[in-house]
Amino acid sequence: MDKKYRLALALILVSLWMVSAAGFAAGKVYIDIDAPGFQQFPVAILDFQNQKAGTGASPNDPADSIRRYLDLTGIFRVLDKKSFLEGIEPGSPEVIRFSDWSAIGADFLLRGNLRDGGNGLSAESRLYDVTRGQVIFEKKYSAPDGSPQTLGLSIASDILLALTGDAGDFRTRIAFVIKKKSGSDIFTMNYDASDLKNMTNDHSIVAAPRWSPDGRYFAFTSYKNGRPMVFLRHLKTGKEKTIASFSGLNLCGSFSPDGRKILLTLSKDGNEEIYALDIETMHLNRLTNSFSIDVSPAWSPDGRKIAFVSNRSGSPQIFVMDADGSNVKRVTFEGNYNTSPSWSPRGGRIAYEGLINRKYQIFSADEEGNNLIQLTFDEADNEYPSWSPSGRQIVFHSRQNGKSRICIMNANGMNLRVLKESRDLLVMPAWSPRPGKQ
Amino acid sequence: MNRHLTVIGLLLIFVFSLTIFSGCAEKQAVVKDEAMQEQKVAAAQEGAPAPVAADDDAALRAKEAADREAALKEQAAKDEAARKAAARAAWAKKNAEALVDLNIQNIYFDYDKSGIRPDAREILKANAEIFTKNSAAKIIVEGHCDERGTAEYNMALGERRAQEAKQYLVNLGIDASRIETISYGKERPLDNRSIDEAWAQNRRAQFLLK
Repeated sequence: MDKKYRLALALILVSLWMVSAAGFAAGKVYIDIDAPGFQQFPVAILDFQNQKAGTGASPNDPADSIRRYLDLTGIFRVLDKKSFLEGIEPGSPEVIRFSDWSAIGADFLLRGNLRDGGNGLSAESRLYDVTRGQVIFEKKYSAPDGSPQTLGLSIASDILLALTGDAGDFRTRIAFVIKKKSGSDIFTMNYDASDLKNMTNDHSIVAAPRWSPDGRYFAFTSYKNGRPMVFLRHLKTGKEKTIASFSGLNLCGSFSPDGRKILLTLSKDGNEEIYALDIETMHLNRLTNSFSIDVSPAWSPDGRKIAFVSNRSGSPQIFVMDADGSNVKRVTFEGNYNTSPSWSPRGGRIAYEGLINRKYQIFSADEEGNNLIQLTFDEADNEYPSWSPSGRQIVFHSRQNGKSRICIMNANGMNLRVLKESRDLLVMPAWSPRPGKQ
Repeated sequence: MNRHLTVIGLLLIFVFSLTIFSGCAEKQAVVKDEAMQEQKVAAAQEGAPAPVAADDDAALRAKEAADREAALKEQAAKDEAARKAAARAAWAKKNAEALVDLNIQNIYFDYDKSGIRPDAREILKANAEIFTKNSAAKIIVEGHCDERGTAEYNMALGERRAQEAKQYLVNLGIDASRIETISYGKERPLDNRSIDEAWAQNRRAQFLLK
């Protein structure tokens, strides 16, 4: 009696779980984009129909910015408008011939209406699964600022969320250093390279710009006082304080995942060692102990480990140690110059730059150093990798023929995009966390 | 080397301009004195043909006051000139000392290394002699790298080079408390070209007296 009852309950629970799991999979995440065989989502974005004017394209149509934002993620193949078989037929917006869309290779289709009213822009849009002939979502949007980019960003974020289960890296910023003859300064820009802003304006030497994972602080090294010191800025108030000005080298490393500590490279005790500084108490804890250079520490996203560069084996190589400095293991063994470790926010992989055939290229490996992949191959020098918060993309510096670029690529090295190009050196990009995390 | 020439040039210009400046001040003081004397003469001439008894006292008092003021001014001008001369002499002495045998040379390093090379040892010995002669000056050792590799690693490598050079000087008897190190990593190359020859020039330690 008792046994039977328990068995029945277990069966019910299991079947309930299976139903909900299947429902989740069908409703939210369509394809595992991190699977090795992943192909980009082919998506068609129709120009929005303007409710007010009735005919013609509106200058406020968000379709172009949706296309641009989706393209930037590297996981969408945005189909060319010219390939569309179906024209926009005013008056019959509900009729969609899915076969026409699958014929041109679109798996997903976005249609929308725009209201270009007196108080800002508003739109409604529908995302369709072309192969199943179903609506994936239908949603209303408004941009009180009247900007089609604002609308486009919201719609693109929802498309990404619906298809991957992750809001992605929209609304993040990238910090980097512009090095001119007059000196260098740190700048920040949006993920799509818009809205360039000065973070420093000292025309000095700057290095190692770092965001805290909670988005509250920004740290960097600057020679603005005549020698290298580490500065910590509170981003909301703009208040800045010097957190390391010991004799010799003071170099900024990365923040702990909880944002309470920051790793530093200091030479105050005789040679370059790695320390963890508690930002609140200013308590300093030395982590490495060798007669060689120990530099460029990067904390793992779970806080348990720290990757760093050391030349203790004769040439600069990547090492991993426990967060208390114990259990040091060498990770890189190929080549004689491996530096700039950056830990994927999703854990598991470390990106770094290595010298191969007299060029610096970006690689990634797991934290044991296995499953090594080379991500960049061309004739350029590619350096300073930094992961996006979603862990899907990597921003890096690329230099070739006197031109310098900030580029992004997918974590597997595909879909390279140039965000910014200059004759001045653009170096040391650092991807911000997602906003609103403070 | 270029840097040292620039420093010497700047010092010379400074000393020279100081000389001109204080020279002018003296001339002005002399001119002033002549003007004062002329005034005194004029006052005396005015006073002589019209000896009016009632105005005598007042005129005398005015003359005395003017004389006293003139004397004070003269003294102040002389003091100022003397002070400037003394400052100039002190400057000249100090810099003459600093300029004694200021043939400080850079030392160079191998790629990705911070060890002192055999050819650098002789240079460091010669530099140490210069530093001993200029015992009052602080010594700044700058470590530099070539453009290859990561900015951060090169900042560490530059510091290592400066530290190694400092240690060598200390072993040669230079007081460690006189020596400061600073790394400029790969940020301040002497030669901007991307060729072996330029890289060899850029992997260096430079020495400055302060």
